[in-house]
Amino acid sequence: MTTGMERLLAAASGRTSDRIPIFVNMSDQGAPTLGLSIEEYFRSGEAVAEAQLAMREKYDYDNLWSLFYVGKEAELLGCKEILFSEYGPPNVLDFILKKPEDIHRLVIPDDIGALPEFAEQKKCLQILKRESAGRWPVCAYLTASMTMPALLMGMERWMDLALNGPFSLRDELLGKLSDFFRRQVRAIREAGADILIYANPFGSTDFVPMKFFEETSVPWMERDVTDTGVADMVYYCGMARLGEALTPVMERLKFPTYYLSPLDDIAAGKKVIGGRGLTAGVINDIELIDWTPEEVRAEVKRMLAAGMPGGKFFFGTGVMPFAIPEANIRAMVEAAKEFGAQG
Amino acid sequence: MGGPLVIPVRDMLHEIIRRYNEAVYDTDRPRAMKVIDEAVAAGVTPEEVVFSVVIPGLEGMIDSISKKFTHNLAQHFMAAQIAAAVTDAMVARFAVPPASEGRVVIGNAHGDIHSLGKRIVIGCLRALMIDVVDLGVNVAPEDFVDAAVKQEAGVIAISSLMVHTARGPKGPVGVRQLLRAMDLEGRIKIVVGGAAYRFNENLYTIVEADAWAPDGISAGRVILDLLRERKP
Repeated sequence: MTTGMERLLAAASGRTSDRIPIFVNMSDQGAPTLGLSIEEYFRSGEAVAEAQLAMREKYDYDNLWSLFYVGKEAELLGCKEILFSEYGPPNVLDFILKKPEDIHRLVIPDDIGALPEFAEQKKCLQILKRESAGRWPVCAYLTASMTMPALLMGMERWMDLALNGPFSLRDELLGKLSDFFRRQVRAIREAGADILIYANPFGSTDFVPMKFFEETSVPWMERDVTDTGVADMVYYCGMARLGEALTPVMERLKFPTYYLSPLDDIAAGKKVIGGRGLTAGVINDIELIDWTPEEVRAEVKRMLAAGMPGGKFFFGTGVMPFAIPEANIRAMVEAAKEFGAQG
Repeated sequence: MGGPLVIPVRDMLHEIIRRYNEAVYDTDRPRAMKVIDEAVAAGVTPEEVVFSVVIPGLEGMIDSISKKFTHNLAQHFMAAQIAAAVTDAMVARFAVPPASEGRVVIGNAHGDIHSLGKRIVIGCLRALMIDVVDLGVNVAPEDFVDAAVKQEAGVIAISSLMVHTARGPKGPVGVRQLLRAMDLEGRIKIVVGGAAYRFNENLYTIVEADAWAPDGISAGRVILDLLRERKP
């Protein structure tokens, strides 16, 4: 039987396999899988690992997803209040950076892997790594330095600081968060992740003008990955379009994989990337809530027809809302298998 | 030769509008404010600044968004902030206070704490002479309706970044149920917006809103149109 890892390695090197890789990033769905509330579920790394293994087995896709929720990274830096919901992902409720002095006082721990706040994530990654035994790539999610302030001070105040300054304060914060990113990479790799999602909405020109992107976003992105390398990283803009940013990112950062937005034109994205990287065509999984299984199948067919010519392509999901009916998840994966067949 | 250089007012305004818009598009707040300061020093009235520079600038951005010219979140954020700041400063100097276009209560849906989009909408509404009551983030349906009744608002504007806060029972659907139960649907309209709606253009009907906007700047026009429809 061909494994997810074999499919991924084949796609990355431009070879064919039995089919293209299918990556699914369900998170909150793990709670009902184990009969737990969302809050109970995310308290335990063992529970998250168990549910991720069960969901991969149930739907038969190709990866293991280790993200608890995005605010987990803020907890590593001192956030104590998370807003839980019955219907969706938890969110940061209390921003730890409220005034400039908080930025001066922010200390980045040297060893993220030793933090008590990292313990459950570490446990989850270790279990996934062990149980996968190299068959299914274990994926982790890390927020880029340029986007991380949104989790620590709120998007509104971060946009203000990023665009209006004081720029020395902005750069002081970004320097610390770039260190945080690099130390987190080390901890997550040591715990067992095979693939790291470099999440950076500020790396999209849907968020910032090209001038800001080239002069500010890109240099901080370069600093993030200079020492870590990018061989296991996927460039992802958090559902924002890669669009015009794609060319400078490819030329200056050389990520091996690019995760398009559902709003990107798949064929156009692939044309820009050419043979220089692996491309993920990403389904609009917010529409997955309301589509019929037949509509899901038609959309997957359309996406794969646009993305598969020329190879180096795989199928991906975006945020996988909690409300997606199980029948539509099954329809999506089955269609991706059918229309993604290469054998 | 000699004598002072006299620039016709229309030409001067044209140049001010061009320089102001350029600064806004470059997300350069100090440069935009300098353009306005220079305009006022050169004799442009506060009324002309608002009605001939700021509002047409915002409307130009709305038009270009609707024609799918490229814009980004940072430009929307800065355009709204600059427009609101200039309008506030200029209105204080109007010869006659301007008439309000109506009142809106605005907030993030229950469970949603992402306030950036809301702030863009507020800036835009203030520049369009609409009174805004900001209820903050994570707002319960009862609080939206109570505030709208007390403040005599014509529109409740609800922002959701995440799909579960848009679709959940304590989001716009909860507000609709209360308006229906209190027989207020004719008086108070619901407008929704935020990232969740951009990925499903039909979502606003699913959550029983009256209208939606794909971005914070366009929300200004959508809300203004709804308020004007209500006027006798």
